[in-house]
Order: sequence, then structure tokens, then C-alpha cells
Amino acid sequence: MALTGLDIYKLLPKTNCKECGYPTCLAFAMKLAAKQAELAACPYVTEEAKAKLAAAAAPPIRLVTIGRGERKVEVGNETVLFRHDKTFFHPPGLMVRVKDTQSIDMIEKRAREVADYSVEYVGLELRLDGLAVENASGEASAFASAVERVKETGLPLILISSDPRAMEAALAKSDGTSPLIYAADEENWEAMSELAKRHQAPLAIRASGLEPLVELVEKVRGAGVEDLVLDPGCRGYNDCLVTFTHIRRLALQKNFKPLGFPLIAFPGEGANSPEEEAILAGQHIAKYAGFVVMEDFDPALAYPLLTLRQNIYTDPREPIQVTPGIYEFGEPVPDSPLLITTNFSITYFSVANEVEGSGIPSWLLVADSEGMSVLTGWAAGKFDADKIAKTVKTTGIEEKVSHRKLTIPGAVAVLSGELEDELPGWEILVGPREAVDLPAYLKIWKP
Amino acid sequence: MAEKVEIPVQKWSGRVREVTLGATREEGGTRARTVTLGGETTLPFLHFEGKLSHPPRIAIEIQDKKPEAWSPLLLKAWEGAIDDPAAWAKKAEERGADLILLRLSLDDAQGEENTPEKVKSTVRKVLSATGLPLLVFGPGQVDKDNELLVAVAEEAAGERVVLGVCEDKNYRTIVAAALAHGHLVDSRTPMDVNLAKQLIILIHDMGLPLDRLLMDPSTGALGYGIEYGYSVMERLRLAALQGDTMTQQPILVTPGEEAWRAKEAKVGEGVPEPWGDWEERAIMWETMTTTALIEAGADVVVMRHPESVRLVKEAIDKLWMKGG
Amino acid sequence: MSRYIATRAIRGANRIVKEAEDLFEKALAEHGPDTKVAFPNTGYYLPVILGITGTEVERLGGLKPVLEHARSLLHPVPKERFWTPYLGEALDCGIATLLAEEVIMGIRFVYGEQPERLPGFRLAGGTFTSPDESAQEAIEGRVNGPIDDIQLRSWGIQLVDGRMPGFAAIIGAAKSNEVAVKIVRELQMRNILVFLCGNVNGRSIIHQLMEEGVELGYDTYTVPFGTDTISAIYAAGFATRAALTFGGKKGGQTREIFLYNKFRVFAFGLALGEVDDLKYATAGGVISYGFPVIADTVIPEILPTGVTQYEHVISMPFDDIEGKDDLERATRLVQRCIEVRGVKVKIAEIPIPIPYGSAFEGERVKRADMRIEFGGKYSRAFEYLRMRGLDEVEDGKIEIVGPGFEDVEEGGYMDLGIVVEVAGRKMQEDFEPVLERQIHYFINGASGVQHIGQRDIAWIRVSKSAAEKGLTLRHFGDILYARFHSDFEAIVDKVQVTIYTEPEELKKWLEIARAAYDVRNKRLVEMTDESVDTFYSCTLCQSFAPNHVCVVSPERLGLCGAYNWLDCKASHQINPTGPNQPVPKGEPLDSDQGYWQGPINFVYEHSNHTVERVSMYSIMENPMTACGCFECIAMVIPEANGIMVVSREDPSMTPAGMTFSTLAGMAGGGLQTPGVMGVGKYYLASKKFIKPDGGFKRVVWMSSFLKESMAEELKAVAEREGDPDLIDRIADERYVTTVEELLPWLEEHDHPALKMPPIL
Repeated sequence: MALTGLDIYKLLPKTNCKECGYPTCLAFAMKLAAKQAELAACPYVTEEAKAKLAAAAAPPIRLVTIGRGERKVEVGNETVLFRHDKTFFHPPGLMVRVKDTQSIDMIEKRAREVADYSVEYVGLELRLDGLAVENASGEASAFASAVERVKETGLPLILISSDPRAMEAALAKSDGTSPLIYAADEENWEAMSELAKRHQAPLAIRASGLEPLVELVEKVRGAGVEDLVLDPGCRGYNDCLVTFTHIRRLALQKNFKPLGFPLIAFPGEGANSPEEEAILAGQHIAKYAGFVVMEDFDPALAYPLLTLRQNIYTDPREPIQVTPGIYEFGEPVPDSPLLITTNFSITYFSVANEVEGSGIPSWLLVADSEGMSVLTGWAAGKFDADKIAKTVKTTGIEEKVSHRKLTIPGAVAVLSGELEDELPGWEILVGPREAVDLPAYLKIWKP
Repeated sequence: MAEKVEIPVQKWSGRVREVTLGATREEGGTRARTVTLGGETTLPFLHFEGKLSHPPRIAIEIQDKKPEAWSPLLLKAWEGAIDDPAAWAKKAEERGADLILLRLSLDDAQGEENTPEKVKSTVRKVLSATGLPLLVFGPGQVDKDNELLVAVAEEAAGERVVLGVCEDKNYRTIVAAALAHGHLVDSRTPMDVNLAKQLIILIHDMGLPLDRLLMDPSTGALGYGIEYGYSVMERLRLAALQGDTMTQQPILVTPGEEAWRAKEAKVGEGVPEPWGDWEERAIMWETMTTTALIEAGADVVVMRHPESVRLVKEAIDKLWMKGG
Repeated sequence: MSRYIATRAIRGANRIVKEAEDLFEKALAEHGPDTKVAFPNTGYYLPVILGITGTEVERLGGLKPVLEHARSLLHPVPKERFWTPYLGEALDCGIATLLAEEVIMGIRFVYGEQPERLPGFRLAGGTFTSPDESAQEAIEGRVNGPIDDIQLRSWGIQLVDGRMPGFAAIIGAAKSNEVAVKIVRELQMRNILVFLCGNVNGRSIIHQLMEEGVELGYDTYTVPFGTDTISAIYAAGFATRAALTFGGKKGGQTREIFLYNKFRVFAFGLALGEVDDLKYATAGGVISYGFPVIADTVIPEILPTGVTQYEHVISMPFDDIEGKDDLERATRLVQRCIEVRGVKVKIAEIPIPIPYGSAFEGERVKRADMRIEFGGKYSRAFEYLRMRGLDEVEDGKIEIVGPGFEDVEEGGYMDLGIVVEVAGRKMQEDFEPVLERQIHYFINGASGVQHIGQRDIAWIRVSKSAAEKGLTLRHFGDILYARFHSDFEAIVDKVQVTIYTEPEELKKWLEIARAAYDVRNKRLVEMTDESVDTFYSCTLCQSFAPNHVCVVSPERLGLCGAYNWLDCKASHQINPTGPNQPVPKGEPLDSDQGYWQGPINFVYEHSNHTVERVSMYSIMENPMTACGCFECIAMVIPEANGIMVVSREDPSMTPAGMTFSTLAGMAGGGLQTPGVMGVGKYYLASKKFIKPDGGFKRVVWMSSFLKESMAEELKAVAEREGDPDLIDRIADERYVTTVEELLPWLEEHDHPALKMPPIL
């Protein structure tokens, strides 16, 4: 059985020195128990305690980082099979493949597109993560110059080649950026391991089937490389779902160390079309990939994939919030309806969907309810008359609408009287209780 | 020496109930074939640890009148058939539907109130135009749903149609109509495991056998709360496999409706450039919403665009095939 | 079982079976065994026979085994001297009677004698049952006969979905035409379907209604079956077909068909006028369906024994019914029928002159717009709800004792007392406060009415515009009557409202109410975990904390503070499939530590097998999980050998080194985290508060908000713990915000925790 925070606390120095970054030893112990902290953060822990805590404290899937700086990608450290059990922590890196057989201009253009691509989603910037450069030419020099070019984007890289000499040349051009070396296999593992160590780069391991993979992992770890990424060789829908599930379960449920690493997937290699590739990539996002390498860049496919990743990797324990403020639907004019709701994402979406669907241009105020739904927010005092009044006064909506009619959710009808006191000059209208009744409500709304 | 890899196999005690839609002539209906859902004893597509009896099925949504508010992309895709539910059903069948979902409107094409008589004739026409099992959903207003669905139940007696949607605030009449005429119902609750379970219990308490009940936990589209629907479905399916009998219904969800409501799918103009090509993105929005939900445990997905249907069908085929 | 009834039922059964046999022999001779026998427009053959015996009778010859079966069920008429008959025999004979009656009706169809001819009668919508005649003739000059399948499904849907509460089979004739009409109108008003049959000395209620020009037929929900007792069989046929159609039962599943009717079809028989042997025998059959029979004459009663839900046979001699005239007596008779069968009343719309709905809940009535106020600064208003016996509450009665507010000057005030009396078979005294609190919401839903407070600090304002639209005190009664019925259908069967403005009466009732408030307060305090055998769960928050289960006991309220044990209990009664489920305590494993087998099993099951063991009280060992809605977080401070409690309202730093919101991430999410626990603030005052860990004396730090908002309760705790200054020994954020500061402070204030055994 896992150790509780209190069990761990007993093994800690109990000095509350705060050097671990937590205010007390107990707080640190609780974080360790939740597998959200590393024991190594405590400088004073005894060897004896370390041994006792090792099992409880080591994350079952190793955290692997590629790239440096702002855009580095961290994957792994997952602790659950289903997001509802806690959360998925580190979204998989979405990488786009370029080949050293393409013209340098082409490579550069693609690299730029990937690096610059950014799409806004509920106030968040969603971006692709990096590039996978493939040594398709078989030439070390072509590979090296392609890598040199794309390195300038500052994006994390995956270097794809089975040839250690080509890999060495590429690594020489990308030193200091911790690219992922793809891949060590049965033939080249010794040389690749050597390169990984020398360049302090994580190493992908490719084998067909779990047992050969485990065997190879053992060899590479024996050679002293610990930052690994696994490619079990599957490419198809069912094949990948089953294999990735096996690996995740082994790592989490059996604490099976040889498979306790992030996985890499190449959906394009199992697909007949870019659409099919994207669907398979979607599966990898939900089911356990650490890196997903796409064959091509297409915003119409990238946007849904990035959105899916964002959705799957939100923390179900914390309400997702949208940015408070004014949201416009259609092209609202000063005498369009004005509604207010909370910034709990699901509340926002239900309202937004219906307002959008109604086709009636409208203003929607989103109050900062700290991610609570309408009723919860009301009960907790995060969506009360005071908060609503503040939202109206501080967002500048008073300059945008010519009328003074604010529609509040039916569920908080009880606030209407208080609100009229808080917002002199405003008429408070009580809207429907359910978002689904909004279109009908908006149809009869009059300024 | 490498460690021996022992594949972890979960022993599940529960099984998703089998539910059959439609009835052939021998069974008292007129369908060319029936469609059976459910029966699985493990999580989606994990052949190695359980029995997977029936693949997920696609229902294509048609409406009893041209849905003017739909995205122009959808109107274009069904051009020529969209004014006539019978022709539309036929075309939907050609484009790969396993099931037809007919949604009734409040008003008819002339803008006059829909009536039980009109609805009966529509249902009759659709039943004649296609041999696929049918689902019929009301316009979503309590009184109208009850009025129209009772008529549908009567007209389609014996066909084992799925009547929908039953919701917490309105299910009794629909269930009673299903009881009276041998139909099935769709039990819809707003993305919550306990509410889903509760409505199943309430409907079952009215005397409707569980093999005539689909569970519709509802969902958001990609980008619009899909994660809630996704997790609720995963949780429902896990509960079912752990032996919680009131969650063992096949799951129906409506990703088509949800996805096509999203601006990303619906609209082509005045949207940010990084959204990319409209049609491609729109189809992908519906497709990816659907496939994510299928992998979370959906047994029936209700879709709208024929191209998305094609893509999802391919994905299902490959997911269904061992090693595919 | 009454020997008298049994004797007469058995006698009636013997006679009707014989009559059926004779008729059968005659028909066989005249028409031959291959003659078709059927009720028109139904797919259920002869439905009672199909339901009870599983036999699909299509031809005359097929009736023979049915009659043989009927005869086999008969018992001899008991001799005067012996005391043998009991319920079973009467029920057997009742079944035999139904079979015989249906055989007779089947044969009468062969002879064209059904539906019964009734000269001058015209159906208001009915079954086209006689293909030999034109449609016009079919509905003229004949009563309806059996209900066809189309109508069965259409009404069945309404019976199943609850729009139609049930059906009444009336047999015989009423005291007068006037009474007959009144009874039918009372039933129609409640949307109850009415079947009519039988006669007394040749005079049937059908004749009575016909004479009064009452339209009878499908269109008016009143179906004339026939003027003899035998035609009552069509009611049994309707019930049987309902079970086959809506219950999915098969012919021959006799028991299931009866049980379906008992639990789902709210029907009853009403015998008007003298009850003869055949009526007794028929009643014997009807009781098997779970339908009680009420007679308006003197007959022996059969009180509960299980075949029907409540009483079986009730006698309510018409002239003895209380009431100022026959019409009022008729109303009472119908009310009694409804109670006996447990039919629930539905009120579609609240009859008040102003808009009503939850959208008006928050309205304020400003002084300037005010017509009148009750309570507040210048007057007194109170609300009191109490439970009474079913026969002590007159459903729907709304009485105003004293003057209305019409004569009070505009902007004035007056005293007001609202007394609601409810009765229900599932009502419990414990639910009184839960229901009483609803008065606030119910009254507030009226547009132009503002309600604040509860009990004897209620404060109600009525706006000028509401008063102008005609709102009077009576409408408060209308609102409460309608809402208690619709919202608390599960536990409330009858509601009566009395509104007092007359000073003496008001004073008297205020005292009664205050005494009751007092008793309730004491009861809450006295209720302990030991005194009950069931706790309640709350899984309301599983939508976002899927593995979290609250277990609420009398001494530990829900961590959100919103649900105490009584609330959960009431909520379960009202919504049996909802989030509050009973958790039987089960085997006490170690009740001091808070371990009972019941909660442990329940939590394991409902936490999706993640929480294996839970203590009802401890924070240190297997603490209860939390969703995130907790009012306070308790966390162990090992350095101080105690715990701290921070409230949601307190944004300051705590000695745990974290603020409330940081701690919340640790305490919530349904994870069991020893050392941290989310709680409702009143749990602090409970004797069971972290009892296994040393109890309240362990509290070394708490938010000042808690000290202030619960000053009285905490004072009591300090006294209970034998240290009246205890609260002052506890640090708060005004003095201490770090663990380093905490220890010296505690030493300085001589906190008892420092001398307690180590908490870890």
C-alpha cells in the first residue's frame, strides 16, 4: 500500500527548513504522497529514509524533457490510466516531421510555420511543440544541415536516423538543445547510447513487441542512459491502443520499471490519408502517447488536435475557467441583449453554445467566479450581487451597450433585488434557468 | 536477462447489456435488419481481456424538414435530399448509416405547427424509404415532445424504434408510449454519472425492461466541454464493468449535433486564420469529437456529415480489427 | 377476514359460475363449439381469462376448460355454525367469479347482446364495437362495453406517466341523481378515469347520470360498461390488459399481473347502494388486483392485511359521513377513496392573480412600493408546519382566522401566523422543520411578494401592484397547498393551511409554535449517532469528485454545512433514487474510533473501490474524504501536537504554511489524506469531533471567523470539555500565522494539547 503523507512525514527531518520549496515538512510529505514532488528536493533526507521512500516517491513513468528554454517539452510522470482518477499531467508533444530530402527552403518554411503557429482557445495560446527531422537521404551531411537550419527556430527536436554516424553529425549541430535521439534499435543501441550520454540527450528505443523492447531497454539502461522514450513498433489503431494500454498498465499497476517511460507514436505511418492520421493522433493523445509525430503541417488538422489535447489534459479536479470579461456573439450592437454568467468553463460553454446557436447577436459578460458554476458560485459567494455588479462596472460594458438591462441566470433569480440596489439605473432581468432555453428567451428580448 | 513481461489483464465482473434496435417482419416490424448494441465485457476495443460482441454503430441524423439553421456545409452535403425526409433517409443509408435518427421539428416546412398526423406520415415515409432501424427524437419541448412521440410510437408500433429524449424533467409519457407500443427509449442526463444512473433507475421503475433502454450521458463538442462527456462515459463504462447494473446500458451520444453547433464547424467566414480550411476543419471537428467518444465507450454515435461518417466508419473498422 | 363477507362472496361465486355454465351449455347447443368468441377491437382475447389462466380463447368450445377451472376454485358455502372461511377462500371465489363473468360476456357478444342496449342513450365518443350495425347505431342506444385497445393505450400512457392518477370503477346507484353527478364531477376534476356499471334494484348510476344530462363516453373520461354487475368485468379486463401492455407481462403470469396493478395502477372500486352476493363475489376478485373497495353502505370492513396497499374494504355509510349536505358528503366520500388507494393529487396551476415562478424569488419590495408588511420591525409574523393524522387534515382547506389586510392603511403592517398542517402515510415528525423551511421559497415565488426569515422571525412584504391585482391572504394558502403537493408528493398526501390574524388565536398559535421550535431544537441536540441505526450518504458532488462519498450522521453534518442528517433523511424520502441514500450502520467494529461495517462497505462501493476503510470521526486514521465544498479544513500540526481549523472565509496564512485555497487542493478531490480533512463548521461543536484523536482539545489554532460566528456553540463546547477558557487558549490568525509563532503562544496560554499524548 502507498505511504500516506503522515507516514512520509515521520521519515523527514521535521525541520521546516523550506528548502524543498514547501512551507513545512508535512506539506512536502503530502505532496510526495500525491506523487507531485520528488524526494530529491529535500537536501537533508537520510539515506535510510531515501530507501524507505524510494518506491513511494519515484514517479512510475519517468519525466523526460526535450528542448531547452521556454519551449521545452516535458512528458511522462503520469500516474493514472483515466484522467478522472486524478489528471493527466504532461500533454504529449505534437511534432511535425521534415525530411532532409526536402529542399532547405522547404524545410525552413515548414519549420517556420510550425514555430509560428499559434491559435487562441478560450484565452489560451495553443501551439505545436517541435519538429522531427528525418534523415531520409541517408546522408550524414544533409541531415546535419537540415538540423542546423531547423535548430534556429528554437523548437525542441526529434532527430530521426538509425545511422549513428548521421546522428552524431546532427547532434553536433544541435548541441545544447537536448533533442530526442530516435532511435536505438537492436543493431545500433550501443553507439546510440554512447551518443545520448555524450550529448546529454534523451534516447528513443524502438523494438517490435514488448519483450524485445524490454530487453533493449535493459541493455541501454545498463549502458547508463536513463532518459528514455519508447517505440513499441505498433502503428495501427487497435494495435496501438492495445499496446499502449499494456505499457501504461504495466508501468502504473505493476510498477514495471523497464516500461516506465513515455511513448512515441507515428500516426502517419499507420494511416492512408492526413485525415486518418489526425484521427489516430487523436487516439494517441487520449490514450497514452508522450510524443506524436505528424507527417505534415495543416492548420485545419492541427487546431482540432491541439484542442483535443487541451481538453483531455485539463485537470478534472479543478474547474476549468475561461477568462472573465466581455464576450461577443455575432456582431452585437449597443442595443443587443446583455447576459451574464460565470467563468466555469462548462457553464460558459453551455451558455455560449446556445447564444451562438440562437443567431441573435448578443453580449455575454463572464464574471470571475473562480471557476464555479452559477449555483455553486452563488452559494460560495463567488457569484453574488457584489461580484456581478463589479463585473458590470469594471469590464467597460457600460460604454458598449446603450440600454441598461442585464439578464441574470434564472437559477440566481434571488439576486435580482439586491442587484438593483447595487447597480442603480440598471434593470435586472431574470433569464431562464437552463441555457437550453436561451434562444427562446433572446428571441423575445427587447432593449 | 530481460524481465518476463506479463500482460496485465483486468478481470471485470460486469457486462454491458445487449440492446436490439429495430424489428424485422418476423419480429413484428418491417426493418430489413436489426442492430444489436452492447454486450462488451471489457473497455472499448481491448480484445485481449474480454468479449466484444458488437462494434459501435453510426446513426445519421435527418430532420423532418430542411434544417435552415444548419451549417451550409451540411446543407450542401445533403443537397437534393434534404427537403424530403424519405429521400434523406435513403441517402443516409447509402452513405453508410447503420441507423437513422429522425429529429422532429416544432414547425413544418410551411412554418405551421407540427402535428401528430404530420409526424405519423413522416415516420411512415421514412420507414418505407429505409430498411434501417429508426430512432426518433422530439423537438425538445416537453409538451410537443410528448404529443408527437406518442403519435410516433403508435404509428411505428412493433418497429422497436428508439424514442427520445427522456430527461429528468420529462420522461414518463415517452416511456409510457414506449411501453404501450413495444419501443425503446433514450435516457439523457447532463454529463453526470449519478444522474445518468438515477434516470435509468427511474425509467426502469416504470416497468421498461433494461434491454429497451439506451443511456445518453450527453457530451460537449471538441473544445466545448468534451472532456466532461468523455470522462463521464469512461466512468460509466468502468462502473458497468465493475458490476453496477444500472450503468450497464449501451451508450448513445450525439457528437454530430454538438460539433456542428461549434463555431469551428459551423462558420467559414470571419474566423481566425490559424483555423485553416473550413470544410476540412469542420469535418475533422465532428470526426474527432466522435472518435474520442467512441474510444471512451460510445455504442451509438449520432452524426451529421457524410464525410465524417466515412472517416469514423473507417476508424471503427480498424479499431475493431484485432491488431488493426 | 370477515366471515360475513366471505360467506356472501362464496355464495355469489357459486351462483355466477353456475349461471355461466348454463349459458355456456345453451350457447354450445345453439351455436356450436367453433363459433368465434371475442371482445371487439382488442388483441388480448378474453383478457381476464388470458391474464389469469394464460388461455387464448378464440372459440366457444375454448370456454369449457375456463369454466372447469373456475369451478375448481369454488369453495362450498360455509354452514352457519362453522367459522371456516378466510380471505384466501374468498379471493379464490372472487377469481372464479371474474372468470365466470367474462365467459358470460363473451357469450353475450355471440348473441349480439353486448354492448348492452340502453334506449335513448348516446355515447360521447366510444368504441365502434358492433360491426353488424352502422357506426351511428353503434354509439346510439348502446353503452360502451369493453374499452378497445386504441383507447387502452392512449389512457394507459396517461395512467403510466401520471397525468391520470388512476381509475374508479363505480358499481350500483348513488343516493340521488345529484349525488351521482357530484361524485363523478369530483373524480373528473382530479382527472381520474371513471367506469360505470351495476345497479341497485334495477336502477344504475348510468341511468342517474343520463337523466341529469351528463355526457358519458371516452371524450369525458367516463365509460358506461353496462347496468349489471357482470359488466364490471370490463374494468378487470382493462386492468389486466394494462399489465400485459405496459407491464410487459404475459398471459398466465397471474401473480405478476396482480402485483403490477397493485403497485402501478391506482384504481379502486366504489360500491354505491346495497351490496348483494354477486357484488361481494366480484369485489373478492377485484381485491386480488390490489384495488380496495369502498362502499357507501354498512358492510364489514377488511383492514390492512397485504393484498391491497392499505385497507381492503372500507365502509362509509353515506348518511353518516360528516357534511352539511349530501353534496359535501359526496366530496368526502371521494376524498376517502383517494386516500385509501393512495392516489396522488396533482395541481397544474396555482390559482393566484399574480405571476408565480422561481424567477421572482429574489424580488425586493421596497418600502415605497409596499402595500403591507407582516413581521419585521413593527409587527410579528410566524410560520409553523406540523404533521397530523390523515383523518385530522382536510386536504385543500384554506382558512383565514381574522380579518384580511384590506382595511389596513397603505404601507401599514399587521400580525400574521401561517400554520400548515400536513398528513401523509410517509410523513414523519422529523421532516417538519425541513418542510417548514420551504415556506420561505414557496412564498417568495409570488411576484410582488418578498419573504425573509423563518419560524417566528418571518417577515413578509406585499407590493402595491400585487395587492392591486387582487392578492389576498388566502392566496398564501393556495400557494402553500399547491407547492407542498407538487414538491413533496412523496411524503405529503394532505395539506391544510390556516392563516391567523385574529389577535387571540394568533397569540395562542404562536405559543404552540414556539413550544414546537423548542422541542425541535432540543431534539437536534439530543440526537446522537448511537440513537439511530442508519446514517445517510451524500454523493451530490461526485460530478466533480467522482470517488467522494459523504456519510452524514446525527453528530456529523455534511462537510458543506448544507445537509444535516434530518435533511438527508427527508431528501431520501422525497427522492428515493437521489444522492442521499440510507447507510445502515451495521456491525459496530469500533464505534469510538468511528468504525462501523455499514459506512465502510458503502463508501468502498460508492467510491468506486478506492476508499477501503473510513472512520466517521478521525482525522488521523482513514479520515472521510472531501469533495471540495467544505466549510473548513482541519489539518494536523505535528509540531504543536494538535490540529488547526481554517474557514473558507479566512484568506490569511495559517500555521500549516498554506492558506485555505492551497490547502483545499490537498483536502479535496475525494482522496483520503490522513492529517487533512474538510468539514462542516458545526462538526467542530459535536461531541464526536475527531474523537479518536483526542477531540476538540486538539484544536490549537482556528480562524477568528469561526470563533466569532460560532461563539455560543464553542462556549458550550468549552464548558463540556471542562475548561471554560478553552477558546481563548486557541490561537488564531490575529496572533499567529506561522508554526514557529504557534508553539510559544500555546505555551503562554497553557493549551491542553501540549500535555496530551503525541498525535502522531
